[in-house]
Amino acid sequence: MNYSMVKSLILKDWYFHRTGILLSLAGGAVSLAVVAFGGKPGFTIGLILLVTIMIMIGAMTVMGNTLGERENQTLAFSMSLPISYLEYTTSKIVGNLLIFVPFWLVIVAGCLGLIVAAPEIHGLFAFTVIMAVEILVSTCLMIAVALVTESKGWTISAMVTGNLALNVVGYLVAHIPGIAKGMWGTAIQWSPAASISLATEFALIALLLGGTFFIQSRKRDFI
Amino acid sequence: MNELSVQFEGVSKRYPHFSLENVHLELPAGSIMGFIGANGAGKSTTIRILMGLVHQDEGSVRVLGRSMPDEQAAAKIDIGFVSEDMRLYGPATLAWHMNFMRPIYPRWDQAYAEELARRFDLKLQQKIKGLSHGQRVKAAMLLALARRPRLLVLDEPTTGLDPVARMEVLGELMTVLADEDRTILFSSHNTLDVEQISDRITFIDRGRIIDSDDKEVFLDRWRRLRLVLPPDGTVPRLPGVVEVGGSGRLPVLTTNRFEPAMVSACNDLGATVQAVDTMTLEEIFVANVHCRRERLTA
Repeated sequence: MNYSMVKSLILKDWYFHRTGILLSLAGGAVSLAVVAFGGKPGFTIGLILLVTIMIMIGAMTVMGNTLGERENQTLAFSMSLPISYLEYTTSKIVGNLLIFVPFWLVIVAGCLGLIVAAPEIHGLFAFTVIMAVEILVSTCLMIAVALVTESKGWTISAMVTGNLALNVVGYLVAHIPGIAKGMWGTAIQWSPAASISLATEFALIALLLGGTFFIQSRKRDFI
Repeated sequence: MNELSVQFEGVSKRYPHFSLENVHLELPAGSIMGFIGANGAGKSTTIRILMGLVHQDEGSVRVLGRSMPDEQAAAKIDIGFVSEDMRLYGPATLAWHMNFMRPIYPRWDQAYAEELARRFDLKLQQKIKGLSHGQRVKAAMLLALARRPRLLVLDEPTTGLDPVARMEVLGELMTVLADEDRTILFSSHNTLDVEQISDRITFIDRGRIIDSDDKEVFLDRWRRLRLVLPPDGTVPRLPGVVEVGGSGRLPVLTTNRFEPAMVSACNDLGATVQAVDTMTLEEIFVANVHCRRERLTA
């Protein structure tokens, strides 16, 4: 693996998305402020804004970073550089995650910080962590589908599926007895059910990204 | 000159509606090959296989001593590639592209890159998305040349260029040719461009290589013979005749194995040779393609 080449490609993608990243960070900070200081209505509106911004930055990077290369006909240029397709795939997966994950971490840390600071919603801690990781799963699904299919249609379908899954997973997690029991309480509780949910999500992420590498390594035509 | 920069052996690639069949291609180091074919003939597929961007179904490909596609990353350090459908990153400037590529290529020549920018009248701080098509091709050419590649692969680089930009690009290629270690594969359907810079020519049609040789050999061995036959005379049987045109007693024979002795042979057979016309590369290409297609349908 030519790591310096992979690094160059990742830095290149960061450079092209710097405005979007900064704007999303600013949007995230505003949303967190609305959650913290907006009272009860602000809490709901701010949370919706946060989720929307997280989904948006995931979609924006995947669309611009991965599908954009084919759409803008820059894929031939990128692939004319001294890299293999597996290195290109690595740069895209790591690059997309490196754009999304820091932003996601900041927002998740902010959300958890707000929960910790407000004892009346301590019970939401486990639910929030699981749902935050679910957003990461959705983003990985989008990255995987975009890289494997190279199709805007399929990627949008993956985005819609991810969003729908967010609601379904939210509903299911809120009804898992081990999590639901203390959800509206004033104490932070971490149950075995929460650990299993989280482990399932990380296993899904590993499966999506591992599957993407496997399929990409068997591809025969790249342009 | 004996070392091969590119070697295709029995390469095939099949798609639902097109197939590249049994391609054998050799490009000696230091030579300039013009790769001529109509649109959809298989030029780009061949070049994509050469670059490792498309994997062949059968056969072996070696580029600069590396096996493709397995060793494509190592091979591409020494390859400069420009294709008609290749775009640079629109939001970035040419200067950004140069800075991006400088650490990647060990032989990157910054002074040459800047000199080319001046010669091509390109502004380093202008964003790529603001450039015209001609300027974009010249920018891509600059980035390919400044890495000082051992092999330059150009897939229809002059397509869509205005005459001035075309001459500038071709002129720069001519300059590059002064470097004897440089090997160039230049694909085009424009035979005039290819004729100007190539020393070897390969024709491809419908996924098959139909002819490949030195340019001078092509130009020497292809001729049109304008004959006058005696009343009731028949067209003499000459070697290498691929096409018989004209009419009645005034046939026009196109041969790919012309020798001066043919003229006296015609006279001996009762036909008078009115003229022996040389052929342009375009005429040779068209005759070659027609001949092969007729043979296939016969």
